[in-house]
Amino acid sequence: MQIAISGGKGGTGKSTVAINVAVELAKRFKLILADLDVEAPNDHLLLGVELQNEEEVNQFMPKFDYSKCIKCRKCAEVCEEHAIITLKDGTPFLMPTLCSGCRACEIVCPVPGAIQEGSRLIGHTYVTPTPYGFTLVTGKLREGEERSMPLVVAAKKRLKNLDYELLIVDTAAGTGNTVSKAIEGSQLLIAVTEPTPLGIHDTELILQLGKLMGIETWVVINRADLGDVNEVYERAERYNAKVIAEIPYSENIVKTYVSGTPIVTTDYPEAEIFRGIAERIYEFLRG
Amino acid sequence: MQIVIASGKGGVGKSTVTASLLYLLKDEYRLIAVDADAEAPNLGLLLGVTEWEEEREHIGAKIARINTETCIRCGICQMRCPYECIYVDDEGNYVVNELTCEGCNVCGLVCPVPGTITLEQVRSGVIRRAITKYGFPIISAQLDVGRPESGKLVTEEKEWAKQIMKEQNLEHMIVDSAAGIGCQVIASVGGADVAILIAEPTPASLSDVQRVYKVVQHFHEPAYLIINKADINPGFTKLREWAEQEGIPILGEIPYDSAIPKSMSMLRPFIEAFPESKASQAIREIAEAIKQEIIK
Repeated sequence: MQIAISGGKGGTGKSTVAINVAVELAKRFKLILADLDVEAPNDHLLLGVELQNEEEVNQFMPKFDYSKCIKCRKCAEVCEEHAIITLKDGTPFLMPTLCSGCRACEIVCPVPGAIQEGSRLIGHTYVTPTPYGFTLVTGKLREGEERSMPLVVAAKKRLKNLDYELLIVDTAAGTGNTVSKAIEGSQLLIAVTEPTPLGIHDTELILQLGKLMGIETWVVINRADLGDVNEVYERAERYNAKVIAEIPYSENIVKTYVSGTPIVTTDYPEAEIFRGIAERIYEFLRG
Repeated sequence: MQIVIASGKGGVGKSTVTASLLYLLKDEYRLIAVDADAEAPNLGLLLGVTEWEEEREHIGAKIARINTETCIRCGICQMRCPYECIYVDDEGNYVVNELTCEGCNVCGLVCPVPGTITLEQVRSGVIRRAITKYGFPIISAQLDVGRPESGKLVTEEKEWAKQIMKEQNLEHMIVDSAAGIGCQVIASVGGADVAILIAEPTPASLSDVQRVYKVVQHFHEPAYLIINKADINPGFTKLREWAEQEGIPILGEIPYDSAIPKSMSMLRPFIEAFPESKASQAIREIAEAIKQEIIK
């Protein structure tokens, strides 16, 4: 089973919802939380743990053996990223930062061995035990690297080898294809939103994505008292999405967020709201 | 001059501060704003843009398609797709997931049946231009849901902005970048003269701003820091310490103000909606510092 927590805009509270729901649901399922916001992974900070079991994510890069290359330019022609340029005589050169590692050049090269296996470190994945009875899987893109898709794929691959009953995915902001890659495979999508016109605008996009992917979508309104929630209810209804919770702005939430303590582990009254969200998810998953 | 405003983490107040700074600088300088958050653009909304004057479709994303009539169902495409975007549907057909495809064409190259897999150009989004109600132009983009290449949209936005700057003899481009450190942010930061980083005093924001700073360093651009929601986490001194260690000048600190979401609901720059608040006072001081230190 897999559920995804997303929200369109950054800073709406996706990770806060993800970690608290994970702590609660870990009492009932063998659980993995996957932080697939690979450009800005923060779940470990919110859980107060240090990332562990680092593994490199290396990406294929063509290495030209110029003694074998026949300068046919085929590699440059198929490169959709235009990462390979050729000199006048056809000699190919790679611009490493543009290379996506897709291997199209290697596939079309007519001379065996003219393109050899090179690689570049593009990021890391981590598998971190937490004191809350679940495992955190994190993907982290290296600074200066442009493409987050390979990190999302690498983190998802790594967690496939782990044993779990329920996977909770915390996605990046936005609604591009790396967010859909993170959500892929989920039975339920939870969009965390804010009741401001900006939040609503972005939530609408994530609701569209949920609809396109054919995934049941719920909405959690964060900082609900800082705007007009009616507008959120209306939009949600338009996309056949249920609003399942309203979280008020709360200093207690900020306090626990900052100290790396999930609020569901405290006695603060707000903890009850997150427990309620977890309960709804549990009922949904139980069918 | 090209100034990029970046934060790494979303939700730290980048667009709020940017809108207010634009508002404060507009009378003295000839500006153009670029909203480089193509996946969740909202600077236009904050600057009162309700209608776009010109909209250009960006056809650039490529998506693979499989012709199920000629497909021999050998599965090589699925095996070789570097991003695992090909699946078998209920009828046993190999299908490309258009919401995750990166358009690399590896499937097309390995397919043994010529013409079965084609790479088609699709719309990746739109780029728009408007005059804000404050008189300066803005360029904004919107990536279509599930599409790749948000970075390319940002690059095109900046090209368009440069062209307008030339035509209208404008002095400064202010770029509001996306969250994260990926292609959109690299496209935003690349080519800028100065980066202004915005962070809040929390461990998550510190971690993300440190990452975006590495991207800025890569381009050898001078960086400055604004601390937003400066009082939400008393006792957290690491953000300030980091800036001092790295030699990043702090342009100012803005206290948390619960009226900020109200200004967002009004779709007005905070400084205009609540000019008397403490946060507005801080933003005015930052605008002065920008005039003194950056836009000389």
